[in-house]
Amino acid sequence: MTELNIIICVKQIPDPEAPLSDVSIDAENLEVVVDAPQVISPFDENALEAAIQLKEELDGKVTVLSMGKKLSDSVLRKALAAGADELILLEDNGFEKLDSHSTATVLAAAIKKIGSFDLVLAGRQAGDWDSGQVGLILGEMLGLPCISLAREITVEDGSVIVKKTVPEGYERVKAKLPALITVSNEVGELRYISRTRMLKMMRGGDIPAWTAEEIGVSDDAIEKMNIASLTTPPDMTRDCQFLEGSPDQQAAALVDVFVSLR
Amino acid sequence: MSAHRIMFWQIEYTWLFYLLSAIAVLLFLIGAGSHIWVWKKNSKSMSLKGVGHALNKMCIDIITGRRLIRGDMAAGLMHFLIFWGFFLLFIGTCVLVAHEHLFEFLEGARYLWFSVLMEIGGISLLVGIIWGLVRRYLQRVPRLERRAEDAILPLWFVLMVLSGFFLEGARLAANSPQWADWSFVGNWIAGLIPAAAAERLYPSFWWVHALLCLGFISVVCYSKMFHILSAPASIFFSSASPVLPPSIEDETGRLDVAEAVFYDGCMRCGRCVAACPSSGAGEAYAPRDFVQWARKQMWQTQFPLNDIRLWNRGDYEGTNESMWYCTTCRACLEVCPVYGAAFEAVAKERRQAVEKGTLVPTILNQTLEKLFRYDNPWESSKKQRGAWAEGLDIADLTKRGAVTDLCYFVGCTTSFDDRARSIAHSFTKILQLTGVNFGILGKKEPCCGDIARRVGEFGLFEEQKEKCKTLFDQYGITEIATSSPHCYHTLANDYPDSSFRARHYTMVLKELLKNKKLSFEKPLNVTVTYHDPCYLGRHNRIFNEPRDVIRAIPGLRLVEMEHSRENSLCCGGGGGRMWQDLKGERKMSEVRLEEAEATGAQILITACPMCLIMMEDARKAAGTREGFRVMDLNELLLEALENK
Ligand code: SF4
Ligand code: SF4
Repeated sequence: MTELNIIICVKQIPDPEAPLSDVSIDAENLEVVVDAPQVISPFDENALEAAIQLKEELDGKVTVLSMGKKLSDSVLRKALAAGADELILLEDNGFEKLDSHSTATVLAAAIKKIGSFDLVLAGRQAGDWDSGQVGLILGEMLGLPCISLAREITVEDGSVIVKKTVPEGYERVKAKLPALITVSNEVGELRYISRTRMLKMMRGGDIPAWTAEEIGVSDDAIEKMNIASLTTPPDMTRDCQFLEGSPDQQAAALVDVFVSLR
Repeated sequence: MSAHRIMFWQIEYTWLFYLLSAIAVLLFLIGAGSHIWVWKKNSKSMSLKGVGHALNKMCIDIITGRRLIRGDMAAGLMHFLIFWGFFLLFIGTCVLVAHEHLFEFLEGARYLWFSVLMEIGGISLLVGIIWGLVRRYLQRVPRLERRAEDAILPLWFVLMVLSGFFLEGARLAANSPQWADWSFVGNWIAGLIPAAAAERLYPSFWWVHALLCLGFISVVCYSKMFHILSAPASIFFSSASPVLPPSIEDETGRLDVAEAVFYDGCMRCGRCVAACPSSGAGEAYAPRDFVQWARKQMWQTQFPLNDIRLWNRGDYEGTNESMWYCTTCRACLEVCPVYGAAFEAVAKERRQAVEKGTLVPTILNQTLEKLFRYDNPWESSKKQRGAWAEGLDIADLTKRGAVTDLCYFVGCTTSFDDRARSIAHSFTKILQLTGVNFGILGKKEPCCGDIARRVGEFGLFEEQKEKCKTLFDQYGITEIATSSPHCYHTLANDYPDSSFRARHYTMVLKELLKNKKLSFEKPLNVTVTYHDPCYLGRHNRIFNEPRDVIRAIPGLRLVEMEHSRENSLCCGGGGGRMWQDLKGERKMSEVRLEEAEATGAQILITACPMCLIMMEDARKAAGTREGFRVMDLNELLLEALENK
């Protein structure tokens, strides 16, 4: 096999780097309000980098899928600027706040519509809800071997060999292609996309957007995430004291601190 | 009979000599032509201005060697001897050729003067070369390298001069003309050669000397000796067609003619290495090596026959990392004999790396992303930008009705960093105390784009520039004072055709001082030393303003560090280094802090938020004398003003 056909699923989320002060909870509407610009979820960026590196090494095609109610072209075109060949948006009024299973259903339908592929990549989890479910459910739905938490991906002779992060280090896992892999940050950060490159991409052609109907997903096949309640986390102010003086004095002061905490 | 010399005395096969000469000259011309061909390829942007001035500067530099002497007295004198020795002998040889082929004039007194000058030339060259060898191989001056050509070329010179003297000695021994005393060295050597052997030996000496000289002419253009031509050219172009700031439309990798000539003009003297704070802190970087690597790249990509050099072709491998060490402090340009800016070569490479994307280090990648999204490299939010000014009764120029004489451009680091914020607090307090009508841009203040510009992200820099210009226009801002020398430099030099005047706060303070707005009641009895920020001092020549302000404080004593003014040592924070985790043996800031402490001062004063952070961190990490402080000039000034 010479060429590799990769599909990668990315999620658009509010920047998870936003400071806590820019995040608020709307308990009434059960919504987390983040006052921050939209970005591609960080682990998905890692997956994108992995996909592009594989393409650079072996040739082939990288197709990017993203699902949402209203997606931003200017955020997602970054994938094209990074080197992906095609970007397909899955946009529908119904595609809002879907649970993991429904998200996987939509993605599976789109991937089936695309048809042929060798690898499906996704980030290990999304940077907003951190559930880490969609990738593996999607693999199940597509009937593919799945490997999670990849830190290194190599493809040879119709198989993929993945170094998978485990608490003790890593495992090497081999699977026949086509396969689905969820990618961890160890594969490396997405390359820097210069503003000139990004602007050039912004002037590129139209991006196809498929609706639920076009990929054959009916309303009752998908369900919204069911949030029971939402609360602001307790205030976790930290305090840092410097213990001054000679080592002996510092030790004595430290003992006092420990004693007072008992 | 009047004094003269018989040309080609005792020499047979003169045709062979002429043939070999023709080959040597041809090789020389081919080499020189190749260089010019490569330079020409990079001359698209060339626009010559101030040619007279540039020629003047070039001639004075060459004739006096002033730049070399100023930077390093011993090396300068050594080069002076070599240059004048070589030059005299070269002119002498040309005179001989003219005498032989055009018209005969070397006779009598003229010949005697000629002989004396040639003797002086030979001695001077020999002494200079031997001095050079001693410096390189015995003294082992750290900035000098010891590569093959560094030994071969000087030894070649030694042999050329010695064979010349021996040849002369043999001729004088055989003929013993009555004017032999004028050739004092040759005559002394004649005494060593038996008259009987002299006539027999002469032709061999002659041929050895001729072959050495012709060989030398052949290799000039293919070795570091080419600096004989390229160094003057580089001095000329650096001033007549300075390196242009890259525009976004440029294809990456394009060079300006001054750069191409500089790469070929660099003779690896290492003065830049001795000045570079990164090299000095033991980091894996040397500007000279980078320039040599850039030279090699240029030849490999632009010249069909690959690198033209005979030696040092394979060395100087650039690593992906090496381009990120430079702090763009400009120290290398200050000392480079051919006025080459290694940091511009670095900038070219960074630009390509940024466009390519894969070679951008992680922290920098994240920083640039942040800068794009949030208009600052520090925090993933714009909201806290003006937070330092809360409750201070400072006008926000972006609010309706606010009109002031001066816009204080706070800058990202001063707005967001805990330590640096105190610059904003103290500077605005001083402005209030002195009755200056000023305002800030609050939350809307953008990043001026300095970091983007220095790390080679020109697209982002253009966007930041547009944001700033639009905002300034929108609120009718024409007078700007910055906290940071970096913002000042960027606004003043990288925003062409702007409708505002940008100044650094030190310039504003100096003006307040001049207008007698600053007055101190009590003396402040401290000894301080001042650290010149690179972008204030070296880049913009603001050396005196901060010192004048410091000296105005009564009772205070200002002492200078070993490196000050144009020789100041970088703190290590500029050029995007703040957002890199490269390491050397030491930290640049710690090296600098040590110097500051060595002056005996109690306070180290800086005038830049980055310097302040770097030096303060170094103070905490390395530990200093009890009570030693690092302060911004504003903090010191406020302390003096409030000292009642
Ligand atoms: S600008 Fe400063 S840090 Fe950069 S190469 Fe020159 S001397 Fe070194
Ligand atoms: S860049 Fe300039 S200072 Fe550095 S080695 Fe070359 S000629 Fe010397």
